[in-house]
Amino acid sequence: MLELLAQTGLNAVYAASYISLVAVGLVLIFGVMGVVNFAHGELFMAGAYAIVALYADMNVPFFIAVAVGMAFVGCLGLLMEWALFRPLKDNPLGGLVASIGFLMILQSLAVMGFGVRMEHIPPVTQEVVRFTDKVGLPVARLYVIVAAIVFLSALWYFLKRTRFGWALRASAQDPEAAALQGISITQTARIAMFIGAALAGVAGALTAPLVSVNPHMGHSVIVTAFIVIIVGGVGSLEGAILASIAYAFVHTFVTTFWDGVLADIVGLSLMLIVLIVKPTGLFGSADRA
Amino acid sequence: MIPKFLTAGPSRRTFLKTAGAAAASLGLPRMALAAGEPIKIGFLAPLTGAVAAWGKPGLDGCEIWAERVNAAGGIQLADGAHPIEFVSYDNEYDPAKARTGATKLIREDGVKFIMMLGGDTWPGVQPVADRTGMLFSTLLPSDLSPETTTLVAPAEVHPIYNVTGVEWLAENKPDLKTAVMCAQDDALGLPSVATYLAAFEAAGIEMLDEPLLFDPATTDFAPVVTRLMAKNPQIICLDTCYSDYVHPICEQLFQQGFKGQIISCTADFYDQMIEKTSKDFMEGFVFQFPDFDDPALNSDAINFQDPNGFYAEYNKRHPGQWGAVSWEYASIMDMWKAAAEKAGSAEPDAVMTAMKDGRGAHAFGDADWWGKDLFGIDNALVGDWPVVAIENGKAVIKEFRSIPDWYNRHGDLMVKHMQAYGQMWDQRG
Repeated sequence: MLELLAQTGLNAVYAASYISLVAVGLVLIFGVMGVVNFAHGELFMAGAYAIVALYADMNVPFFIAVAVGMAFVGCLGLLMEWALFRPLKDNPLGGLVASIGFLMILQSLAVMGFGVRMEHIPPVTQEVVRFTDKVGLPVARLYVIVAAIVFLSALWYFLKRTRFGWALRASAQDPEAAALQGISITQTARIAMFIGAALAGVAGALTAPLVSVNPHMGHSVIVTAFIVIIVGGVGSLEGAILASIAYAFVHTFVTTFWDGVLADIVGLSLMLIVLIVKPTGLFGSADRA
Repeated sequence: MIPKFLTAGPSRRTFLKTAGAAAASLGLPRMALAAGEPIKIGFLAPLTGAVAAWGKPGLDGCEIWAERVNAAGGIQLADGAHPIEFVSYDNEYDPAKARTGATKLIREDGVKFIMMLGGDTWPGVQPVADRTGMLFSTLLPSDLSPETTTLVAPAEVHPIYNVTGVEWLAENKPDLKTAVMCAQDDALGLPSVATYLAAFEAAGIEMLDEPLLFDPATTDFAPVVTRLMAKNPQIICLDTCYSDYVHPICEQLFQQGFKGQIISCTADFYDQMIEKTSKDFMEGFVFQFPDFDDPALNSDAINFQDPNGFYAEYNKRHPGQWGAVSWEYASIMDMWKAAAEKAGSAEPDAVMTAMKDGRGAHAFGDADWWGKDLFGIDNALVGDWPVVAIENGKAVIKEFRSIPDWYNRHGDLMVKHMQAYGQMWDQRG
């Protein structure tokens, strides 16, 4: 039983890692720009397809492919900010609808470029860190865990310790006051969009060899991310990380000890309970932070 | 007759269906085909989306089939020879889109026969079938019911043929005595779960745990595999999981150190699974869908035309894309063509009558129309089915086994488990 618990714990840590990368990016975009980016799952998908194109098809070394994929998806974020969200910044629903349109465009581009089928990505490594005979962590999964720790720590440092980070937080708290202080709202929006998209991109790129890459893979990711940010508190980065960990552990343990379908019900129930008890989420406030 | 009719009275549903069919017949007069005019066949299946792997390769196979038939002179009807032309409609595995597609194929394209994957999309199409009397085929006989009089399942009796793999395993590896199973919780996964449970029970293989059902939206299979391996089973059964699930599950089984036997309905793109795991790990993997370059398919009992040549042509045009359904829709067309030529007509009712007249020429040998027990109607063609195992990195047919023979011995178990999972025709909503 101890081994089963340990293996389940490791599975949950991996799930928490990639979910938190996606959810934090989504929260950052919402926090700074006030836009619910429905295309965030497709940014995750774009990161995965970058690996298909670069690593699987063109034999580019995996970590270079991940870096390029991350930058590419970050640039997709800049494109969204410029083409969709900036022109619609005074229309709260406009950005949401535009992101749904962009979601469909990205899915269609993936279908046109790669076809409808699941893509095959050769394994990056088959090594497994073995703790006991029955408890192990595949190194490919370890990459995702390490990446989540590194990137989320870097983001924390950036937001708390740098001038750009302060500007970003100021824009998120009160855009008008921030603008009066000389902070460029457009510039902070660009930075938020790039970072948020790049985090989804790196999550997609690193998990690509571990999941089935297909044009519709973003759907389940965005659903999970929305549950997480609602539980954590919309606009709260800390809340998104803690809710990712809580959701991943609950979902993984329920799947392992009961049932995968029940795990989804429990996850959604968790969200409903939080909404009833604390409508702003565990770490949210009435105003977006 | 008249007093009896008046006494018993037709049901309202029967009256409406009859009246509807009559109205449709009057509203859509049968178009006589000019000699040489193409006969259009509808292909209504998911060509995009998560289930596209069980639609698109079938269309690719049909196009090869049509080219071959047309090059040989087309189909010979009473009024002369006609080429075959496929008209496809992507239903995205969505019932509403399938209904729109069926209406469009019948009304605008004038097709004479519509092939479908079926499953979740059939309920959307059934009213169109009832109204027009169009002949449809499905790959999933669980769509059949006493109401589906113009629907046939002539290619595969999913999931019933899965019993052959379990039976073969029990006979050839008798030391394997325990199993666990996982499946996606949907219209494809659940009847297959019931079938495997019946097959394992018949074979004396103990299930160590309840089947583990997972949401079809699942992407991370590590928790599923951890649970499967927790009770140290000798066999892990992957049910009728989509290839998007079979691949990551196998990779997880490999990484979490599983050393036992794997059995699955399909193993599409198994070469990729070998690359993700190892040749040793995949050795002996048992499933149900052969590569058509297998020499066993050259037997005289096989009705599929030139399977090796078809496979070679398919792989030339679509390298690495061969899958479970690549040949199935083409094999249905073989049967439809034979029935139409026998009837001398492509009209749906004439073809249906000719098709069900006597035994059917199933791809894997002559077979019987069957299904009353499980589906409430004898519209599924059932005979032998191959058991396939991966040997030295290649799928090899180990044996053809009779599905009706198994059912005659263990049909009660099948009915018991189908009932337990609510999968009998009178239990489905």
